[in-house]
Amino acid sequence: MMISELMPLYLSLRLALTATFIGLLIGLPIAWFLGNTRWKGREVLDSLISIPMVLPPTVLGYYLLVILGRNSWIGNLAESLGTPLVFTTRGAIIAATVVSIPFFIKTARAAIEGIPSNLLDAARVLGRTELNIIFSVVIPNAWKGIAAGLVLMFARALGDFGTTLMVSGGIPGETLTMPIAIYNAMLAGNQAAANRLALIMAGTALLVLALINGLTRQVGRKRKR
Amino acid sequence: MFKIINRILSFVVLSLISIFLITACAVPVQNTTQPEKQPTTLTIPKLRIAAAADLTLAFKEIATQFEQETKIPTEITFGSTGTTAMQIENGAPYDVFAAADVSYIDGLNKKGLILAGTQQLYAQGRIGIATLKESNLSIKDSQDLADNPSVKKIAIAEPSHAPYGKAAKQALEYCNLWAKVESKMVYGQNVQDTLAILRSGNVDAAIIALSISKSDEVNFTLIDGSWHAPLNQTIAILKATKQEENARKFVAYVNGEKGRVVMKKYGFLLPSEFAKK
Repeated sequence: MMISELMPLYLSLRLALTATFIGLLIGLPIAWFLGNTRWKGREVLDSLISIPMVLPPTVLGYYLLVILGRNSWIGNLAESLGTPLVFTTRGAIIAATVVSIPFFIKTARAAIEGIPSNLLDAARVLGRTELNIIFSVVIPNAWKGIAAGLVLMFARALGDFGTTLMVSGGIPGETLTMPIAIYNAMLAGNQAAANRLALIMAGTALLVLALINGLTRQVGRKRKR
Repeated sequence: MFKIINRILSFVVLSLISIFLITACAVPVQNTTQPEKQPTTLTIPKLRIAAAADLTLAFKEIATQFEQETKIPTEITFGSTGTTAMQIENGAPYDVFAAADVSYIDGLNKKGLILAGTQQLYAQGRIGIATLKESNLSIKDSQDLADNPSVKKIAIAEPSHAPYGKAAKQALEYCNLWAKVESKMVYGQNVQDTLAILRSGNVDAAIIALSISKSDEVNFTLIDGSWHAPLNQTIAILKATKQEENARKFVAYVNGEKGRVVMKKYGFLLPSEFAKK
């Protein structure tokens, strides 16, 4: 019971952490771009990025399946390289990232936009390059919002069900994450297992979030903010 | 100017909220959406049938004939047998349950949810290996599934709650191939979903029910019925039904002459020709 029930948990955590990390790498530059530049198409880009938040997860999963599956040029390319995207862990990571990144971008953008522009201007007057300003002014001032965005992104990736199921199937040991395991147990009428798994998942999620919140408070105290 | 726009906007928003609240309270309790669209006769309520996914083609035909003959409207929901049984346990309001395996009906019987004496064996199902006609893959038998290098992914229904998936796994275990093919497996929620996965082109082959394979769509190779426990498809009337008489008529139709013609057409084994194990 132990190993086979903990495997979905391990897969879920691994997936959520990977998606969060990738989301941070991709999302932070986008959030900065949306928050700091004056490009006319900003709001259009913002709406496009928000689409995964509004679409029903299964619809999103269906579209991803079509875009990444064998019948598309992306999927075909991936297959020919021996690394198919659908029904694999890779597909699950892509699905989880797509689904959760809008939460991060929106929150991080708001935090970045909230930085008083005179701070940025002061840095510019002092001769700092834009790149330098990102690391020395923008991030230190917006880090709380960015951290909040990370938490949201992690939570969303951890709890994703419909999209990952559609794109990566529920392959035991590979893509059978906790929400899918709970769903399968429920479908099979195994209420005891479903309840157990649901409890483990809820407990783990709370623990992780409590840890992150604690860390945020700690770091905030050290920096006296 | 701004004040006027403000006022208009507030008025519009408040009106919309009010309209939503009023209409939400006024909506009568509806039946959940069903795939079958029938002209609703206000006097005769629909007969609600829950059927296993492998009956998708066969039961749609039987239902149409049944309705024409008896003028009793029907509403069929297809799904995996295990899931439907679980829903019935939790109060799903069906009149008739046509399962793909007798064990689920027995389970419901033990919980007192089946009308006594209405349980009937009506067919035995067959499984086979299917590949899309457009793919040039040809699979001769299950050994081919394991050995053919172009077969990278195979879809079956989820064995824990779909009888046809369980039979597929049993057949592969019988041939000592399960260990080899397990890493290639992708699981559908029911046998119809498994066919959908095959259609999407993202798997190379699938093991599905004979009854849902269409010869213009898939290449189908039957799997020997002795390699898996027989799929004893059992139908029963649920105790909670409010239309016992109509339900009895439907069950009699399925197991009657005309129903059996349709079942045979879709490859089911009839009670007279069962392979006994």
